[in-house]
Amino acid sequence: MINRPFMTLIQREVWRFLGLYKQTLIPSVISSGLYIIVFGESLGSRIGSIKGIEYIHYIIPGLVLMNAINNAYQNSSSSIMQAKFLKFIDDLLITPLNGLELSIGYMIGGIIRGVMSGILVISLAWLLADVMIVNIPLTILNLILISWAFSALGVIVGIYGQTWDHIAVFTNFIFMPLTFLGGVFYSIDMLPEFWRNISLVNPLYWMINGMRYSMLGVHDSPPFLSIIISGMFVIVFSSIATLMFTKGYKIKE
Amino acid sequence: MSNLAVQIKDLNKNYGSTQALNGLDLEIPEGSFFGLLGPNGAGKTTTINILTGLVNKSGGYAKIFGHDTVSDYRNARKLIGLAPQELSFDFFFNIRDMLALQGGYYGMSFKTGRERADELLNQFGLSEKSENNARQLSGGMKRRLQIAKSLMHDPPMIILDEPTAGVDIELRHMLWKFLKDQNKNGKTILLTTHYIEEAENLCDTVAIIDHGKIIEQGSPRTLIKKSGSSKLEIKVKNWKDNIINDNRDFSFINETLHIPAEKPEKEMIWWIEKLKENNISIEDIHISKSSLEDVFLKLTGRSLND
Ligand SMILES: Nc1ncnc2c1ncn2[C@@H]1O[C@H](COP(=O)(O)OP(=O)(O)O)[C@@H](O)[C@H]1O
Ligand SMILES: [Mg+2]
Repeated sequence: MINRPFMTLIQREVWRFLGLYKQTLIPSVISSGLYIIVFGESLGSRIGSIKGIEYIHYIIPGLVLMNAINNAYQNSSSSIMQAKFLKFIDDLLITPLNGLELSIGYMIGGIIRGVMSGILVISLAWLLADVMIVNIPLTILNLILISWAFSALGVIVGIYGQTWDHIAVFTNFIFMPLTFLGGVFYSIDMLPEFWRNISLVNPLYWMINGMRYSMLGVHDSPPFLSIIISGMFVIVFSSIATLMFTKGYKIKE
Repeated sequence: MSNLAVQIKDLNKNYGSTQALNGLDLEIPEGSFFGLLGPNGAGKTTTINILTGLVNKSGGYAKIFGHDTVSDYRNARKLIGLAPQELSFDFFFNIRDMLALQGGYYGMSFKTGRERADELLNQFGLSEKSENNARQLSGGMKRRLQIAKSLMHDPPMIILDEPTAGVDIELRHMLWKFLKDQNKNGKTILLTTHYIEEAENLCDTVAIIDHGKIIEQGSPRTLIKKSGSSKLEIKVKNWKDNIINDNRDFSFINETLHIPAEKPEKEMIWWIEKLKENNISIEDIHISKSSLEDVFLKLTGRSLND
């Protein structure tokens, strides 16, 4: 599988988002910078600290995760959507690359972009708020797994979707609400019991929690669960995406 | 037995209730310049897409140089270069890098890919545009680029799906010459077309496809001979019956002699002398040569470009 055709697809995917850096990497840095400044600086002084962590630091893992998710998902979904519109997808489907290689190739493009944007936001947070990471390997592992899960979901939506709106639906109506409700800006311990229980069925909550543990060393709930949950999403979404590419669902007649 | 570049047996394809291919059999010898000729909707593109793996077949099998297109797809696909009916490019890159990536999908290193790209861009007169995006090329240039792309990995067989549809005459002739040269240098070529002229001009073998089936196959010359509708028409004045007592096949309608002939030019000489002998004056002579068009008409009762 680690052959030249496969590596070429990854090269192509990375080149694409690097070439479009003004639409891909830069926006996440700007929006995260704004969150850190506006929320961290202004609200932070009022909220003080959560679990012994300065508020401005407390929100950073969630921001990192939000950007990784968006970038990973956007990369594979829009790249495939565009390839379908331009018929370029046909050129790929007739190469010696098989369904597994195509789907994993697209996923890796998204993972690289997700991890890169995560690292960019971490660097920015370090510059603006002097944040230090407690466990670097675990942070990277979390970043990779989360980016992988959402990049794989991006492949599925990219193949299944018919218009750009279909891609945006997931971002606007699912990821955004779930990340905000998952406790990017607060600890669910601060919520009334009813809402706290609701939060527990939100997978994004567990992921944010795991990211916070790996970056800051604090958590609301067992931190390894986030690895397991992300891992399960990785397996399920990757399998579906690969099956779609292999069978040619919606892309072959 | 010579090696077969393509071997298709009992191929079937249904799109929902439409039966696009209906037990199609086809064999293309290595080195051949093969034409698949048929009207719109006959199943040409479907056949090609099954060969390249873009369409899943419903039944039968297809092999490329002995490699099954499904069970041995990797080897099969490496041996084909496809210029599809609809233009398709990776618009994110300049055309040189786009071609280099295309080579990469077939196992070429990026560096070798760029060298090969330069070579092909030069060959197709696109060197000046190598830093441009495919979007910025004219229609004719895009066609040339499309063919260059299919040649990137130097496959032993090229498949061209209606390569000259909507192309101006100058480019058409350039492409014809180019393809002939490629064939001379050993490449097997499969070309689909609904232009008779193209098939007659280029192909050593033509298969006529209609309703998802091959209905006739042979060299253009034998097919035309078989259809037997070449004829000679001579318009005359003061015609007299009974001057032709040989056993010649002809009819006289509207002051015109209609003479079926395999070689109308030869027949013409005999007739001119005969008419002169009898003091019959000739007003006009017309030779109508039978073409693949007639073959199609005779086989299906329909004209090819209806
Ligand atoms: N994607 C498709 N869905 C449904 N029917 C199709 C599709 N593609 C082709 N067909 C039908 O299959 C038949 C063969 O089409 P095609 O192979 O494109 O013919 P050709 O290339 O000879 O013009 C036609 O009747 C066409 O309408
Ligand atoms: Mg066609």
